[in-house]
Amino acid sequence: MIRLIVQRLLALVPLLFIVSVLTFSFTSLLPSDPVDLIVGDTATQEQYEIVRERLGMNQPIVVRYVQWLGRAVQGDLGTSFFNSVSVTGAVMQRLPVTLSLTAVSALIAIVVGVAAGMAAALRPRSWIDRFATLGATFGQAIPNFWFGLILVAVFAVNLRWFPATGFTALSASPWDWLRSVILPSIALGTSSSAAIARQVRSAMVGVLQQDYIRAARAQGLSARRVLIKHALTNAMVPVVAVLSFQITVLLGGALVVEQVFAINGLGTLAIGAVRQQDIPMIQGIVLVMVALVVVVQLATDIVYGLLNPKARPS
Amino acid sequence: MKHGMKDALLAVAVAAGLGLGVATASAEPTGTFRYAEQVKLITMDPQQQSGSGVPYLRPVYESLFERGPDGVPVPLLATGYEVDGLDVTITLREGVAFSNGEAFNAEVAVANINRGVALAIIEGLKTVESAEAVDEFTLRIKLKEPDPAIIDSLCHTGGMMLAPAAIADPALDRNPIGTGPYVYDREASREGEVRVYTPNPTYWDKDKIGLARYEVWELPDDTARLNALKTGQIDAGNWLANPQSAIIDRTPGLKLVRGSGGLNYHVIISDREGTVVPAFADLDVRQAMAHAIDREAFGKAIQFGLAEKSFQPYGKDDWAYDPALEGVYEYDLDKAREYMAKSTFPEGFSFDMPSIPIYQSRLEALAGFFNEIGIRMNIVPQEPGTLARVSRTTSYPATNLVWQTNTDPKFLALRYIYENAAYNPFKTAPSDELLALAEEGLQPVDPAVRAPIYRKMASRLAEEAFLIFVTNTPILFGVSDRTADNETVVYRFGEDSINLRGLKAND
Repeated sequence: MIRLIVQRLLALVPLLFIVSVLTFSFTSLLPSDPVDLIVGDTATQEQYEIVRERLGMNQPIVVRYVQWLGRAVQGDLGTSFFNSVSVTGAVMQRLPVTLSLTAVSALIAIVVGVAAGMAAALRPRSWIDRFATLGATFGQAIPNFWFGLILVAVFAVNLRWFPATGFTALSASPWDWLRSVILPSIALGTSSSAAIARQVRSAMVGVLQQDYIRAARAQGLSARRVLIKHALTNAMVPVVAVLSFQITVLLGGALVVEQVFAINGLGTLAIGAVRQQDIPMIQGIVLVMVALVVVVQLATDIVYGLLNPKARPS
Repeated sequence: MKHGMKDALLAVAVAAGLGLGVATASAEPTGTFRYAEQVKLITMDPQQQSGSGVPYLRPVYESLFERGPDGVPVPLLATGYEVDGLDVTITLREGVAFSNGEAFNAEVAVANINRGVALAIIEGLKTVESAEAVDEFTLRIKLKEPDPAIIDSLCHTGGMMLAPAAIADPALDRNPIGTGPYVYDREASREGEVRVYTPNPTYWDKDKIGLARYEVWELPDDTARLNALKTGQIDAGNWLANPQSAIIDRTPGLKLVRGSGGLNYHVIISDREGTVVPAFADLDVRQAMAHAIDREAFGKAIQFGLAEKSFQPYGKDDWAYDPALEGVYEYDLDKAREYMAKSTFPEGFSFDMPSIPIYQSRLEALAGFFNEIGIRMNIVPQEPGTLARVSRTTSYPATNLVWQTNTDPKFLALRYIYENAAYNPFKTAPSDELLALAEEGLQPVDPAVRAPIYRKMASRLAEEAFLIFVTNTPILFGVSDRTADNETVVYRFGEDSINLRGLKAND
């Protein structure tokens, strides 16, 4: 297992390198110009050139990239083009926000998805199954930003149960933290819970028809023990693979949902950086997101190995 | 004795009227006021500000002058001024200190002005050669050319005074130090989310500090800002003419305040000599285009009924506004067709117009109007943030921009009229009349004297019809009913911010 972790972490290095090259190249190809935004509409060409030189924009892209890379390998992702805010600081400040959102969403997705999937699998073709299937279809079909707007309108604006915007840090107030993440997490996690429910139902229906389940029942094991220990454990193997993908989807979706709830996470930072073409900030965000995805996949592989001994690396 | 008492009372009343800080029993600042800003904070260095974001600066920085309720500059950190040709002498308020304890005097003010000139980002300081201290509380600004708008420019970021320590700080953009009623609380603020300000213990006019805490929330999403207003998370915020501000206008418990000044949306015929599009050289064509626009329908459909028809660059609150120009290009399709028929292009023509996403619907409406008179306008998408740049090139024969109506009219010439004007990429020489008016407007300082000159200029612009004004949207504030009822809430003239001097919390 340790070898697997080391291998994956080593593989992260070339991956981050390739991603950084691509991000740097694509961002530089954009026709908009951050210097324009900095100097404003009334700047002279001379001012424009001064700022361009200060940002190093008049150097060839390769030189700029190598300079950035030289600092990045020392842990310095640079500073924003627009102010003295360090990229590392900005990303690290927002990371807990997006992770909070993603974690609570994933929790909601797992709890709701597994419960709905199991309920449907235990009574196939019953009204529970049909209701769960319909719910899953609905959950996957609705855009999360639209669902977020509906949740805000009902539970924040009308009922005043939750704040309409903003995020409270867990360290500041656990209760306010929960209130601030619950609506965006429901908006974000609904689609994933639907996908997980479908997967759990499908896997569970298959597992429940296996001989070893019949054998377990014949041995006189309780229905609960058969279901949890034998059926669910085995049914979760394919679900974990889906979950890995869904967490990646949640990370991406958080970028959109953050806008609806005015949550100051990585998504808000990313959108602002792209609009301004703040290349150092975009680079930092993309690298962190890629690293997060790799870590999620690694965690998935570990869980996968724990659930399925056959999948463990020799 | 009686006279003595009367005189004393009169002196107190006059001093109070002049805001000289007569000692009164001042209440402790209490409560919080929360304001939401629609643009993200880029920098807290006022001299590096190229656009919006002033509400983040006003709590900390004070300018030498500020605009009074009628838009005319009144002293703030200054006490008076005198303009003599290219010399502007300004006397400064004594006894003012920055929040870090450094003294405010002429030497500091000079360093500020000269820094702004060297950075050369603030448009209003571009006429300044340099500044020098005359004595401890008097400075002299030397101009490169006559500039009657210089005092007005010092009402804004160009006149904001930074502490010497702040100027020397490489991280000034997040460490502002000024003389304002509040200080920036970096620890309590959250980058990209909220800026927190607390009372400045060294403030020179303590009675004007009414809040224990002032917050500016960065809420660029219009719907999120609206929801925050509806749920009481914010007390006020600024808006553009969009569906959300229209919702505020009709939601019980909320109020849409129409501030002074605003954004004037207009079409610029850059190629007015017809280098690329010969038809644009024909005055009949340009006048036909001006008459073909149904501004009323445009304002209702595209700007949610929040915009007014516009035929000149000035807003109704501006001193240069000319009521006689109202309706000069009223929508009249028959007249527009007559102009086209008698032009040298009766069959019509086509041209390209650059567009950014937020202007797309506006341009689609305009294209429909122009199509009615046989003019085909091809809308060419541009990357956001590039419209101003392409508008300064000959890539397009026409463009569309907004003009802030609170900008001094002298900038009309600098942007559109002079041969080397920023938005005159084809270098068209202005008519003798326009040139003469532009020059004449620079000589007097008094707005009352300048107003007739700029009215003539607006009239002449209407005649030449290379600037086609479409609509004017006022500065919009969305506020709660409690904020609307708060008598201490005073909106700054021509600016999207609330005057913090004297502002108290709603409760």
